[in-house]
Amino acid sequence: MLKLIIIAFLFTNFHTKTTNGAIINKNVERVIDLSTQLVKISSAITLENTGKDAESKYIITLEPNSIRNLSFISAKDSYKEELKVTETKNELGQVFSVKLNHPLAASRTSTINVEFVLTNSLVPYPSSIVQKDKQLVRYFGNHYFYSPYLTTKQTTSVIVNTRSIENYSKLKPVSQSDSSITYGPYNDVAALTVDPMIVHFENNAPFLSVTRLERLIEVSHWGNIAVEENIDILHTGAKLKGSFSRYDYQRDTSNNHHSIKSYKTILPAAAHSVYYRDSNGNISTSQVRARKDWIELELRPRYPLFGGWRSSYMLGYSVPSYQYLYKGVNNQYALRMRLIDNVFDDMHVEYLETSVVLPVGVTNVKLSTPYEVERLSDSIAYKYLDTKGRPIIRFAKRNLVEQHIQDLEITYEWQPLLLLHEPVLLSIALYLLFIVVIIYVRLDFSISKPEHVKTQ
Amino acid sequence: MMNLNKKPQASHNTDKQETLLTLSILTVAAILSFATRLFSVLRFESVIHEFDPYFNYRTTKYLAEQGFYSFHNWFDDRAWYPLGRIIGGTIYPGLMVTSAAIYHLCWLLNITIDIRNVCVFLAPLFSSLTTIITYLLTKELRNAGAGLVAAAMVAIVPGYISRSVAGSYDNEGIAIFCMLLTYYMWIRAVKTGSIFWSTLAALAYFYMVSSWGGYVFLINLIPLHVLTLMVTGRFSHRIYIAYSTLYCVGTILSMQISFVGFQPVQSSEHMLALGVFGLCQILATVDYLRSKLTQEEFEILFSALAYTLGVALTLFVGVLTFSGKISPWTGRFYSLLDPSYAKNHIPIIASVSEHQPTSWSSFYFDLQILVFLFPAGLYFCFAQLTDANIFLILYGVTSIYFAGVMVRLMLVLAPVMCILSGIAISHLLTKFMKNVDAKTANEHRRNRKLESNLVLRNEISTAFVTIVCALLVSYTFHCTWVTSEAYSSPSIVLSARSHDGGRIIFDDFREAYNWLKMNTPEDARVMSWWDYGYQITAMANRTILVDNNTWNNTHISRVGQAMASSEEKAYEIMRELDVNYVLVIFGGLTGYSSDDINKFLWMVRIGGSTDRGAHIKEWDYYSPSGEFRIDKEGSPTLLNCLMYKMCYYRFGQVYTEGGKPPGYDRVRSAEIGNKDFELDVLEEAYTTEHWLVRIYKVKDLPNRGL
Repeated sequence: MLKLIIIAFLFTNFHTKTTNGAIINKNVERVIDLSTQLVKISSAITLENTGKDAESKYIITLEPNSIRNLSFISAKDSYKEELKVTETKNELGQVFSVKLNHPLAASRTSTINVEFVLTNSLVPYPSSIVQKDKQLVRYFGNHYFYSPYLTTKQTTSVIVNTRSIENYSKLKPVSQSDSSITYGPYNDVAALTVDPMIVHFENNAPFLSVTRLERLIEVSHWGNIAVEENIDILHTGAKLKGSFSRYDYQRDTSNNHHSIKSYKTILPAAAHSVYYRDSNGNISTSQVRARKDWIELELRPRYPLFGGWRSSYMLGYSVPSYQYLYKGVNNQYALRMRLIDNVFDDMHVEYLETSVVLPVGVTNVKLSTPYEVERLSDSIAYKYLDTKGRPIIRFAKRNLVEQHIQDLEITYEWQPLLLLHEPVLLSIALYLLFIVVIIYVRLDFSISKPEHVKTQ
Repeated sequence: MMNLNKKPQASHNTDKQETLLTLSILTVAAILSFATRLFSVLRFESVIHEFDPYFNYRTTKYLAEQGFYSFHNWFDDRAWYPLGRIIGGTIYPGLMVTSAAIYHLCWLLNITIDIRNVCVFLAPLFSSLTTIITYLLTKELRNAGAGLVAAAMVAIVPGYISRSVAGSYDNEGIAIFCMLLTYYMWIRAVKTGSIFWSTLAALAYFYMVSSWGGYVFLINLIPLHVLTLMVTGRFSHRIYIAYSTLYCVGTILSMQISFVGFQPVQSSEHMLALGVFGLCQILATVDYLRSKLTQEEFEILFSALAYTLGVALTLFVGVLTFSGKISPWTGRFYSLLDPSYAKNHIPIIASVSEHQPTSWSSFYFDLQILVFLFPAGLYFCFAQLTDANIFLILYGVTSIYFAGVMVRLMLVLAPVMCILSGIAISHLLTKFMKNVDAKTANEHRRNRKLESNLVLRNEISTAFVTIVCALLVSYTFHCTWVTSEAYSSPSIVLSARSHDGGRIIFDDFREAYNWLKMNTPEDARVMSWWDYGYQITAMANRTILVDNNTWNNTHISRVGQAMASSEEKAYEIMRELDVNYVLVIFGGLTGYSSDDINKFLWMVRIGGSTDRGAHIKEWDYYSPSGEFRIDKEGSPTLLNCLMYKMCYYRFGQVYTEGGKPPGYDRVRSAEIGNKDFELDVLEEAYTTEHWLVRIYKVKDLPNRGL
């Protein structure tokens, strides 16, 4: 940790040369939410331009040891309007540059809100526990707001949502209330300062990761879009040590347990024909509840999940295509659907692979995604009675959270006449069959009558 | 001219009507036979049933994915650890090849069907085909009317449904079709005497051999038919051609199945076929010689030849038997002839419920009115003896004997019951329907004649027809009821009624298998009683020690010994067998009666049947009064053996029923006798929601110094 601080200081010296120090963080109010398996950091930053020229760019960054856990970043101005965040690399490593909507004139102030979502940042400690133990986790953070600018004043509050906090680092002034710890205010912290913060507390929120999610969207112009998700999940909390006792498990009726009995998945309101199964068949323990604007699906894995236990299942449903498929001019079509959908609240998806199967004979396919994805090679699928395959658009992305639930758009050209392809094919096949039967019945192909027929 | 033309036109029209009627009745029967087998799919889901089908499903999946050659050479290291099993050489591949062929055909047409669904719906599909083949066979034996009745009956006969509901993916599902197909071809061959039909019969026989071990019945029945024809003086060139072709081609083809190998020429079960084949040649030669020689010359030649051949044959067979080339009568076959044989000699055969003798009630349960119509059908066959009818009589009589010996062979009996009953019903109805019709059509003729020789002829006929119809309707209802109540539960998912009438699903088996699959190391060895072997390999994909292919008695016995021993002894055996997990089925909480405690005496018997298990004696597990009890009265050996401890670990604290003490076993209706104990060498790894499956992990050896 000491080494880190030294490196940070080196950076500071180096950095002051490059950024003129025109902008300073006048006030930073940071909230670190540790109540779920994710770490959500939202910071309200009041900027001040101390230079002479107007500034339209603001750099945000994260501590070098947590940047690899970063899943999602967004920035908003004081009117709650989204600001454009671009990822760049400079001498600090990976940084994010926020383009301000209105250039900040000299000696003016402005407020922006930055939100980070980090995954894999709460480490179970002890790493394995027995069935009746509580799950404790540790968070390693920074007492100060990590920024390439000087910060005049800052406060940080850490929400843990539990009274049982084992231990936390105490950099004064610090105070603990019901379920949160408040650090600061700290004044005049130099740029890129790191001072390690440790919070060790009880967290019985579900620690559940989707290790692999394969999402398959099948578009049919007959009016149906079929969605199927193959999901592998893993309990990433403290591992179960020793035996699992069903007797103790059945006696313990409190909801506050580190094992996961069930979770809720949200499906679109129009979803129907829902199925929930795995490689051995239907999983009978699920409930569908229709809410006003969505369908809530309560899924219970075949067995309760303890730390280190895995499960995998397949969830499928259909939605009517008129809600997602839009027709343009000249046989242009646009498909607007979720790139990834809700699996459970505060979800964490390690790897997502989405495939979209388009109808037979589409041309000029264009894919646009709300964020950067890794495009995989397209392939071709043959479904019911296809003579020409259907193109599959495939792409993948790592480390996703709830905030990534956004729409993708695929536009393509397609001839509606192709809809008749299969019915015509079937009719021709049946027609040929009847013709053959008729010919066979009407004509006699034998060269000579066999003996026993003659005698009859 | 006009009149002359009209008549053929009319007959042509009735012909067409008849064809249409036949076709529609057959189609309806075929659809019905498919539909009536779908109860379990509709009630539960499209899932494979029971135990053996899971193995078939797994091998089919392998075949569909890896291709025939790697299937043929497949050495399965997931089963019979550490021995393994050569799958390709120890199964009848017909079923798997059929499903894989259908699967590939569908994919060729771009019909994206899941291999599991092919397997689930294969048996209903083949029973539809069986319906059609039954019609053809009966038509060949009697007439089209009898054929239609037989087809309609076979479509819903419970004796056949029991083995062919959707999901019951077993050899028998297609074997019955193959068997009837072979019979049909054989009857055609006998009737025509053409090489074409007998070759087709041989091909059908090959398909039968490739799909079920029950082909032995077939290869004994056909020679028996030929033999009977010889004895009754009905032997002719037609029979000679039919049988010689069938035997030669069929035997050579059947030897291509590696599981069958050289058995058709070595084992005693096939000797009847070989003997009859020889007899055919001799009889044909004798007939030929007799036609060429005078009576005296022939007699000299005949006696000389008979003696030499007889002595040579005896010597030959004797030498082969003593040198072990001809395999001795196998246990399963002995138990066919002598129902008590297996029970006395081989506990593993006796322990299988489907190898038990059939009770009278199950005849009625599986066949209902067919039981009573069967003799009538036989009578009508005797009344009109032909070469083909003799076959039917033989088939009926032999199969009723075998069905009486082994519950499983009810399956072979069901089709012939339907055929014979079809003949009976069709014959009777034709007779009586004529009289019902007589009233209107022959009104004036009857008046002219005497006032008929029978009183109330029409009324009696009507009454009879009504009774028969009522019987048939009751048969339909009975069949549907039996199918829905008795034969349509997948047994992998259990369901029960709760107090308020709702349905409770016990999905514990799949819960446990899924847990094993996801949360144990890939190469973990699981020990369980052999019943669950196939399911564990198929669903959990883990290595098991013994499975339903009970080929190695000593290995099963070793597992039985581990289950029946005390913890320390069992630990030694488990270390020796390299076991990681132990799985037991326990029904004490839910009242599921076919659990491991109820099977436990078989484990003791099988465990004690080999040398290494000599210390395990069945009597040690009975209470002093000679009962098998799990309460305080039970024998201490039982109360401290591994199986008991695994089933009842921590069960002593559980309240199962109101008003009963904790630890009350709902299957045995007793409070368990040994409640507070800890396991030393095992730890509970997982127990399912309703405690049906309990999985234990075998602990490592303790560290030194502890």
